[in-house]
Amino acid sequence: MALVRHVVPVLFSGLLCAVQLGAQDQTGAVTGKVIDATTQQALPSVEVAIAGSPNRMLTRTDGSFLLSGLAAGIHRLRATRIGYSPQLQDITITPGGTVTANITLVPAAAILEAVVVTGYGTQRREAITGSVSTIDGNAANVGVVNNVNNMVQGRAAGVTIIQNNGEPGAGAQVRIRGGTSISASNEPLYVIDGVPINNAPTEPGGFGVGGEPPLPRSPLNLINPSDVASITILKDAAATAIYGSRAANGVVLIETKKGSNAVGGGAGVEYDGYVAMASASKHLDVLNGDQYRLFATGQVGVWRSDSTSACTARPTVCQNFFKDSVAGKLGGLSPSHLAALGQLVKTGPNPGDTARIVYNTNWENELERTAVTHNHNLSFAGGGEDTRYRASLNFMNQEGVAISNAFQRVQGRLNATHNAFDNRLRLGLNVTTSHTKNDYITFESTAGFEGGVFQNVAIFNPTQPVRVTDPTSGQQTYYELLGQTSVRNPVALANQITDIGQTTRTLGNATAELDLVRGLTAQVNVGVDRSDGFRNIYLPKASPVGASFGGLARQSSLDNTTVTLQTLLTLRRQLGDIHSLDVVGGYEFSKFNTGNLTTQGQGYVTDALLFNSPGAAQTITDFSGRELSRQVAFFGRANYGLRDRYFLTGVLRYDGSSRFAVGHKWALFPAVSGSWRISEEPFMRDHGFSELRLRAGYGLQGNPGVPPYSSLLTLNPDPGARYPFGGVPVSGVIPTRDANPTLKWEQTAQFNVALDYGFLNNRVSGSVEYYVKNTSDLLLQVSNAQPAFASERLTNVGKVRNKGLEISVDALALSRPNFTWRAGLVFAAERNRVVDLGPYSSIATGTVSGQGQSNVNAQRILPGQPIGTFFGPRFLRVNAQGQQVFACVAASAGCVNGESLSPTANDYTIIGNANPDFTLGLHSQVNWGKFDISFLIRASVGQDVFNNTALVFGTKSDALQDKNFLVSALTDPTGIHEPAIYSSRWVEGASFVRLQNLTVEYRLDVPLLSGSARSARLYVSADNLFVLTGYSGLDPEVSNLASGLNPSAGLQARSIDYLSYPRPRTITGGLRLTF
Amino acid sequence: MTTSLVTKPIGAVGFRLLLLVTALLPLGCTNLDESPPSAITPANFYRNEGEVLSSLAGIYAQLRGTLDDYYNVSEISTDEMIVPTRGSDWYDGGQWLELHHQTWTPVSPVGNGFGNGIWVTAFTGIARANALLEVLPNLTFTSRDTVAAEVRTLRAFYYYFLMDTFGGVPIATTTQIQARPRATRDSVFRFIQAELTAARAVLPATWPAASNGRLTQGAVDAILASMYLNAAVFDKDVGVSPTTYNSCTTVTIGAQNACQAAIAAANSILNSSAGYQLADSFAQSFRANSASKENILVIKFAPVADIGLNFVMRSLHYNQYTPTPWNGFAILAETYNAFDAADHRRDAILQGAQYNVETGQPAKDRAGNPLVFTINIADETQATEGEGPRLYKWPADPKHVAQNNGNDYAWFRLGEILLIKAEAMNELTPGDPAALALLNQLRARPKQTVAPALAGPIARDLILQERRFELTGEAKRRQDLIRHGKYTQAWGYKPASAAFRMLLPIPQTQLDANPLLKQNPGY
Repeated sequence: MALVRHVVPVLFSGLLCAVQLGAQDQTGAVTGKVIDATTQQALPSVEVAIAGSPNRMLTRTDGSFLLSGLAAGIHRLRATRIGYSPQLQDITITPGGTVTANITLVPAAAILEAVVVTGYGTQRREAITGSVSTIDGNAANVGVVNNVNNMVQGRAAGVTIIQNNGEPGAGAQVRIRGGTSISASNEPLYVIDGVPINNAPTEPGGFGVGGEPPLPRSPLNLINPSDVASITILKDAAATAIYGSRAANGVVLIETKKGSNAVGGGAGVEYDGYVAMASASKHLDVLNGDQYRLFATGQVGVWRSDSTSACTARPTVCQNFFKDSVAGKLGGLSPSHLAALGQLVKTGPNPGDTARIVYNTNWENELERTAVTHNHNLSFAGGGEDTRYRASLNFMNQEGVAISNAFQRVQGRLNATHNAFDNRLRLGLNVTTSHTKNDYITFESTAGFEGGVFQNVAIFNPTQPVRVTDPTSGQQTYYELLGQTSVRNPVALANQITDIGQTTRTLGNATAELDLVRGLTAQVNVGVDRSDGFRNIYLPKASPVGASFGGLARQSSLDNTTVTLQTLLTLRRQLGDIHSLDVVGGYEFSKFNTGNLTTQGQGYVTDALLFNSPGAAQTITDFSGRELSRQVAFFGRANYGLRDRYFLTGVLRYDGSSRFAVGHKWALFPAVSGSWRISEEPFMRDHGFSELRLRAGYGLQGNPGVPPYSSLLTLNPDPGARYPFGGVPVSGVIPTRDANPTLKWEQTAQFNVALDYGFLNNRVSGSVEYYVKNTSDLLLQVSNAQPAFASERLTNVGKVRNKGLEISVDALALSRPNFTWRAGLVFAAERNRVVDLGPYSSIATGTVSGQGQSNVNAQRILPGQPIGTFFGPRFLRVNAQGQQVFACVAASAGCVNGESLSPTANDYTIIGNANPDFTLGLHSQVNWGKFDISFLIRASVGQDVFNNTALVFGTKSDALQDKNFLVSALTDPTGIHEPAIYSSRWVEGASFVRLQNLTVEYRLDVPLLSGSARSARLYVSADNLFVLTGYSGLDPEVSNLASGLNPSAGLQARSIDYLSYPRPRTITGGLRLTF
Repeated sequence: MTTSLVTKPIGAVGFRLLLLVTALLPLGCTNLDESPPSAITPANFYRNEGEVLSSLAGIYAQLRGTLDDYYNVSEISTDEMIVPTRGSDWYDGGQWLELHHQTWTPVSPVGNGFGNGIWVTAFTGIARANALLEVLPNLTFTSRDTVAAEVRTLRAFYYYFLMDTFGGVPIATTTQIQARPRATRDSVFRFIQAELTAARAVLPATWPAASNGRLTQGAVDAILASMYLNAAVFDKDVGVSPTTYNSCTTVTIGAQNACQAAIAAANSILNSSAGYQLADSFAQSFRANSASKENILVIKFAPVADIGLNFVMRSLHYNQYTPTPWNGFAILAETYNAFDAADHRRDAILQGAQYNVETGQPAKDRAGNPLVFTINIADETQATEGEGPRLYKWPADPKHVAQNNGNDYAWFRLGEILLIKAEAMNELTPGDPAALALLNQLRARPKQTVAPALAGPIARDLILQERRFELTGEAKRRQDLIRHGKYTQAWGYKPASAAFRMLLPIPQTQLDANPLLKQNPGY
């Protein structure tokens, strides 16, 4: 330390000629102690600062502080801490003297930091004019939090986070103020410690038995939630415009813990670990073996009774089936279906010595398990006045509730800061590296037509066993049905297919901040983000899936490198008590480089090699690619404050991206906003408001969510464009993309007005916000006027409007020495409307899954309607013949009295809306003696969900192919021979209330520990304890998967529920120790 | 004013240095030009014959796409084929029954699905052709002009599919993407004819073995013969008769009528130095690696991933082939029953007890019963898995890789040329015995008596029936029924339909994309 403090100035003194160190003036100091008004206990980690100057420090463990080198005169001392109302106190400094100031902090309703990270710097909370939500890392880190996204869920108004499914390590859909883009990305921009993160998949896609794409993992899997100090969400244009072109979907700023605020300054060690048990919270409820056997035999009985008369009446059509004599429709099952029940085994030497063993297999139980997760964090922090560090380690192993499925993370992080030249030069370094390992199973979203374990759980005949003894070898093998299409033993699928994804990602950034003159700071920030992802897959010959390829091995890699450079100049001036000025100007350059390489082999002699030797295959295919892009920006933000009452902010950002067409690569994104702290006005004094502030803002944001080269005409050697001349395939090179010389940013103009309030000394506080977002020049795949190389190209057309109301209330309901109760409520209502679709009258989206559902779409994007509008025939009833009857218009064929059995396109109408009327989040913390009790409840009201699972498995027709179905179909009147037809019948209301988390924490007084441990806390936590809903499917909360390669881009489809990986119910027990 | 610790200047030189560094960093970092490292752009391609042949392969490859939507519409909207709903299989939003019932609209699964597929497939082929034709004049290599003639022929052939399906379409010969109005159907007809005639002068009669499958003079003659026979349909936007025969005698081609032109085109094939001749047996031309001298214009397939023929998958039962077929397309009883029981061409249609086509073992249905294909389908909305006969004209390739079979598909073969010539002759001289002789030539192949000889007299209906027998499942039925004024009649599960159904609607997607397009009347 001494070395830095003394040698560095010497080294630089030749360069920095007039360096003057140390204070020669007549100065004084202030010392004192901060205590909690309720408990009268000392408060550590309180920031004590001289208003309008950077002179500040954090109180020590005993609540004490000392600020020295203060000029003589009157100063305003400000004490702020998360969870307390800030306190101001005037002090008078005399030359050479030390004054004492003791400060008492009153707990506040909301846990708010005084200084908010707002992008390229921080702002005082009072000065913020945009819409910003902040979440305290420690307060939100309860229960099984394996991803930072979990910490935001239900805690910020207008932020919707839906886990894609219950798979460990699964990604989540994050929407800030709704999705505004129809086909470009709707994901927010993530900024970790000031460096924007490239939110691109880090792991190569799976093979998918049938070729379906996998769901991408969240980029935040990289971060250990315990390292998060705070999360700031920038919602409106005034707040996000500083991020310009990448900000249309909002910005999530994550600040990680620094050495200084780990444990109140001094060195400390923290350990935090938990063990969790998870199991599926709800089951599909398909027939068990006994139920299926009863059903099948019953249907065969029906068949027999109908047959005689029918065959007499219509002999020509009675060759191998029988007709129902009344309706001319088939009834029941032919007796041959009895052969599909169980196994015929030999019981004696004679040919007739056989018996049928009908098994009673619960495939869901066979596939699922009680999964164990354990997680360990160890961190230590320390340092002195000038150099501080914090290091942390995390290990997490999470089992999936489905067998053969797990997520593992090992992560390390180092943060170091150093101050030199009397705190005028501040250096910082953050390095995070993580290794994640996913053990995948092939489920619906990743597995395609026949690889899905959950589909097979639903359909696999429950009268069949999981394993049989192979008569030739005498060994136990998985039982597989022969001669069945797309029906595989799900237990075998899970166990036999190897699919492992591993990613190593390192994120490093270094900053140097130098105070040039008073209030003027220059900063350079360099960040590197590198990820290497590998995916290894083997489909063995032992599995019927792999057998069709003779064994298939695949090794693929995906690398991403992002380099970011920022240079910033910040000017902060407080001119007396009247004017304050806060200006940031800067430049940012980012370079993205991503490449992939895949080797795939088919046809192996043995399964022994797994994926390790693709080269041993009969046929090998390789594919690879690389993409580069760059982004450049110049930006500035000025915040002017008058009398700490009126604030005005202006933002300008000039952004360039290589991904757009020549001449359209650059765009300007401005924003202006202002706020008025009404409560500071003299006339508002003593009106009960401790805080009342009006804010309004308007600005433009861009969406660059297009792949590189989107505007260029490119040609590709395409395997499908090969053509055999003389029997030998010649490689075909075809233009695959038409040039679009006018491709540019998708642009969102957002208007925001808000009222922040606080009364009863901020024991109740919150805000009410209203916004309107108009998105234009939508990036849409638009059909080309033919002839063209591709049927569609990315074009800027159309408009979408989002409007919304957000209300948040935080209250400190009770505050007693041994009992405090805080509660917070967030409410959001959003309305989305497609205003214009350019040349389109409508766009079909939301592919319906299942047999016989090719080219069927559940939703339409229609002008005048929200994105997520269900569109199809309106179901009326099931008639006496077991046929589905639909409403129709007179003009369509087969329409009698407004009813039709086979609806046509004319009869399709709007049959539902996937968007909720409103969402609610209620979080509460009770501190009672040594107990801390917290819970989080989320609710979503008014949305519809298309239960695709019920469409496919909710009627009996699967039994025609000896497949199982849902128990609910037993009482359903739909005939067994009726095809599954998408209609309003399968679109259900899906309002829900979910107890997301309940945690009870106890502070231990262990005599043995009290000597060494500063605190020890034990907790028990339950996640997803219950869901109240009328929805009949597995889970009413459905991720908005788009139809397209990347669920975060591609045409938006919302709320389609098809055999998703069940969300687990989890019980966690944990321990937090601080030494 | 308060004073603080940071009031002292850090030094003029240091400050200037820092400002300089800050100011310099942005320079040189604002270049946003793109050059893809792993994709080809026109700037670095089309430099030699090899690259041009790769580009040519891409234009040929698009021909395979005609066997999807164009094929489906040409067969399933007629009395030859149907795709019944089988339990939970093949409902697919009602598209297959809509196609058979001819109840499509511009926005329906057929109109905007199959129809859009035909439109996009053909026009993509045209776009690729235009792209290559634009760069060819700048290149010099020996076969350049022949390649150009091939590309023009391919482009004309793609226009042929569009003209047949939709009537008049925009004619584009440049790569620019722009809204263009529809040309009249007759203009498209004349454009195709002019292009083919020009290309014919440059194309060879045959190719060396290594280029087998590329377009020849014979291929051009075959397209022309088909166009001339259908000229009375293809030359008008309105006035095609839905109920009476549309005769080629009513259309003038140069100095003769279209029937004479069709006969002339057929004759140049018959007299070609390529030596076309009927295959020894009826089945031979459809086999993998048949080397049949009967095939004139083929789509080449190979038993290789992505580029094989998958017809076995569409029709066969799940348990008749590996990988598992789809058990969909069925032959209508009307067509199956129309055959003379002695006609061996019916052998290509599977009916009755079934076998695995690869192993020869008796096949079972999914419930374990012996698999039997019935002639009739009792209810097309609720068919069982064994209902309806199946076409098995292109037999499984023993070397198939998964669903990819190496059987070539002949868009034109000599058998049809004889039928075209016979039909045109009968128009010129109704009852012409020489025309009947051509039909009987088909029934007595060099090494197989396909069917008993016809006694005559020859008539239009007799020729139409013979085309059905000879060309079952070869995607000619819709065109034939329209020419004969029978496409809108009732059959099977379809009631009589309106005259405007003879053209497909312009798909809504295309109307949206190109505001200059006008919809066909009736839609």
